[in-house]
Amino acid sequence: MQSHQDKQTITRRTVLLSVGGVGVFGALASRLYYLQVIKAEDYTTLSENNRFNYNILIPDRGRILDRNGTPLALNKQDYQLVLIPEQVENVDETLDKVSDIIPLTPKVRSRILGDIKNHAKFVPILVEDHLKWPQFAALNMRTPELPGVVPEVAQGRSYPHDGLFSHVIGYVGSAGPEDVEKDNDPLLRQPTFRMGRTGVEAAVDKQLRGKSGKLKVEVNAVGRIVREWPEKDTQAVPGQDVWLTLDAELQKYAAELFEEDSGGVAVIDVMTGELRTLLSMPTFDNNMFVSGLTQADMKRLNSDEKRPQFNKVIGGGYPPASTFKMTVMLAALEQNIINPSERIICTGKMRVGNRTFHCWKRHGHGPVNFQQSLQYSCDVYFYELAQRINIDIIAETAKRLGLGQSYPLGITGQTKGIIPTEAWKQKRLGQGWRMGDSLNAFIGQGFVLTTPLQLAVMASRIANGIQAVVPRLIIGDNTTDFEPLDFLPEHIAAIQAAMRSVCEEPGGTAYRPGAMGVPGVEMAGKTGTGQVRGISASERAAGVLKNKELPWKLRDHSIFVGYAPFDRPRFAVGTIVEHGGSGSKRAAHITRSLLKRALERDGLTAPNMDDDTL
Amino acid sequence: MSARANIQSKLFEINWLLPVLIYVLGAIGVAMIYAATDGVWSNGAQQHLVRLIAAGGLMLLVALIDIRVWYHLAYPIYGIALILLIGVDFVGVTINGSQRWLDLGVTRIQPSEIMKLAIVLALARYYHDLDQNRVSHIISLLGALLIIVIPAQFILRQPDLGTTLLLTMTALAIVFLAGINWRVILSGIGAAAIAVPLFFMFGLKEYQRTRIRTLFDPTSDPTGAGYHITQSKIALGSGGVSGKGYMNGTQRQLEYVPENRTDFIFTVIGEEFGLFGGLITMGLYMMLLAMCIWMAMECKHRFSRLMILGLTSTFALYVFINLAMVMGLAPVVGVPLPLISYGGTVILAVMFGFGLMLSAHLYRQSELPRGGR
Repeated sequence: MQSHQDKQTITRRTVLLSVGGVGVFGALASRLYYLQVIKAEDYTTLSENNRFNYNILIPDRGRILDRNGTPLALNKQDYQLVLIPEQVENVDETLDKVSDIIPLTPKVRSRILGDIKNHAKFVPILVEDHLKWPQFAALNMRTPELPGVVPEVAQGRSYPHDGLFSHVIGYVGSAGPEDVEKDNDPLLRQPTFRMGRTGVEAAVDKQLRGKSGKLKVEVNAVGRIVREWPEKDTQAVPGQDVWLTLDAELQKYAAELFEEDSGGVAVIDVMTGELRTLLSMPTFDNNMFVSGLTQADMKRLNSDEKRPQFNKVIGGGYPPASTFKMTVMLAALEQNIINPSERIICTGKMRVGNRTFHCWKRHGHGPVNFQQSLQYSCDVYFYELAQRINIDIIAETAKRLGLGQSYPLGITGQTKGIIPTEAWKQKRLGQGWRMGDSLNAFIGQGFVLTTPLQLAVMASRIANGIQAVVPRLIIGDNTTDFEPLDFLPEHIAAIQAAMRSVCEEPGGTAYRPGAMGVPGVEMAGKTGTGQVRGISASERAAGVLKNKELPWKLRDHSIFVGYAPFDRPRFAVGTIVEHGGSGSKRAAHITRSLLKRALERDGLTAPNMDDDTL
Repeated sequence: MSARANIQSKLFEINWLLPVLIYVLGAIGVAMIYAATDGVWSNGAQQHLVRLIAAGGLMLLVALIDIRVWYHLAYPIYGIALILLIGVDFVGVTINGSQRWLDLGVTRIQPSEIMKLAIVLALARYYHDLDQNRVSHIISLLGALLIIVIPAQFILRQPDLGTTLLLTMTALAIVFLAGINWRVILSGIGAAAIAVPLFFMFGLKEYQRTRIRTLFDPTSDPTGAGYHITQSKIALGSGGVSGKGYMNGTQRQLEYVPENRTDFIFTVIGEEFGLFGGLITMGLYMMLLAMCIWMAMECKHRFSRLMILGLTSTFALYVFINLAMVMGLAPVVGVPLPLISYGGTVILAVMFGFGLMLSAHLYRQSELPRGGR
């Protein structure tokens, strides 16, 4: 019934469509070729990425030990709660449920949400650590209804000794974005990882940290682990222990001696430079910083006028006061501008230009020779020297004794203090040096600022006499090949003798015979009383106020440097007690006691026992 | 000749090459569903096999019925399909946000699948009855348009964009084959050029627009709508030339490709058998389509030819759209790969269609009056 032409139309158009169909097949086939041949490698990689996750294993952090192996920082089991975002359906809802058991502050919540945003979905995010056992147990009970929330027993950093070592050890904390930028260690991207933030923890972080391990796991589309590949795993390498030169017992004793006072003390081995004690008082509990400080803690720390967080022993600049006098005396001997037997008359004051400078002893010491100037700590003697030597020479000598510089301790927070020169004053204040400046500087007042550690180093260099001792804190850190000190032995001997007379001869400002408790063991030292206020002429006329009559903040700093035994020095100490009054009292007592205890702990008692102990 | 002998002789006359090709593809389907379900026989592979066999029986039944009967039933079937479609609009069951299913108590059916067949029958009959000279007449065009637009808009409302497109394109293929003149075709294309962008803006649901947009930039939403496409391409691409081996596809095992038992079954073929397996599968489809076209050309009258070609177009479009979708060349519209993808209604509809083709071929010499008289 159909026309021939009609049939032809259908056939023609069928062919047309068929050709189109073949074209589509061709296009599809070439697309398949493109995907499976040309792009095959890319997609294979993507497919591998789909399959494998590397779960980073966090190594145990190395411990920090004192010289006897007493742990100062260690890892303790810590109950933590972590959250794996990809397994959590509704983060807010889950956190709400978690807050029923452990209260989460808004700050913590926003921290958690931030962490979730900044990490891949399979990375566990720390919700809270340092959980109490009942909380941890309760969370374990609830886990079935909280998918993706995992209570974990992890290793948390713990600092025993009640904060005695806080300033030295520092603390650990989570890595910030700037750390991640500088350091491509995958550990830093783990939210539960803690790195050293301050102190020794930060200084030798790499050594303590260890190396991360990798757990290769196959995951499916929703992130569930479907297979582990034990043969592809690399174990985490635990961090190395770090040994410090400190003696925990001695440090503890030093803190006891300080009682409630504020300040710093350093005990140093005069031969090796090893620090046996490096203490800043008062201390704070660095455990607080590991889990994150609360606002209340922060406020308490910051409002304390004794500034617990401030590492005074290496970072506090104080006028060294009369402990600076050895420097001046050494310079005077080297410059040959004083004869040790020459006597200078002290009348209690000296007039220079239109100003009157006073000796601490109101009515003067009378005639005073070189050794006596130190024994009695006569200020006028040094006023006289100030007119004979240029301040720049004093500064140079001070530098040789270790003042005005920082040391390679590894930890941060050191200050160099100030050892003034003419150029320094010009640069700093835009003024020329005046004689009055010298007079103040020569008795360790005025512009001069030193730290307790610097004073200890100075004492150790005088005690050593040959080498420029450099303090060290971390065992294996530095060498004991010190630079030569380059003072003439007779000059050093004169200073040493003068320092001995301070402690061991009647009239010495710190005279207390038998202080070392063993016959024949003597100590040498020097007191310092650092003025923090100006004394007006009228007050001087009416009688200088006693420290007890002043508010704490205005009292003198009590300063002492010393070493023992006098004839074979082992340890040197630098002590500053903030607003502790006269150097002959608090600081001298602390120094004496520490030297005695340090010698006892070292097994060194009487000189005649030496042969036996060998 | 007895009726029994008649049926026997007819059975011999059936073009058995077509069922052979169908079952080769069906067997691939069973094997791939078995792999896609991690080798759990009862998770689809078994059902697929049973359905193929059962639908095969239906195909033979349909094939043995004289084409003249189907010619007479063309409009009634279309009418019933339309009523069912309207029924879905009112009492349909909503699955995955689309109201496509009609619950008949014993089974759920998808009237849009029936309509795919019905519209081919209806249009084939329409053009068979129409005088060849009046094909391009405005009245004739309007008639055809009505046959197409009424069901199309009901399916679009479900909403089922994939089926709507498929249906419309099949229908247009028949209209084209029926011989409308080029002037009409060109103006139609011109009108579409204007209508399609408007339709995109106003006729589509937001999720459908998102799907189309992410096609062009899948990275914009790697976990949402772009996820299907990205993971599908990863599965294919990582298969390479020779594939990862049967049952060894990692994308498949780890469930990275969603719906890989149904619409994305080709990713399993591509991942486990590589380019090789993909091209063989495509080759089989080409052979099947070529066979259908050859059958159409053997038919004497217009109804059979247009019907076979229309059904062939539907089948071809299924294949094209599905493959293009899986390879990231078309939006994810939810079109299965016929005979291989898991899914009951589709198999039933496709096999019914093949039954009609076989019937038309079997009775290719019989006379068909115009207008059903």
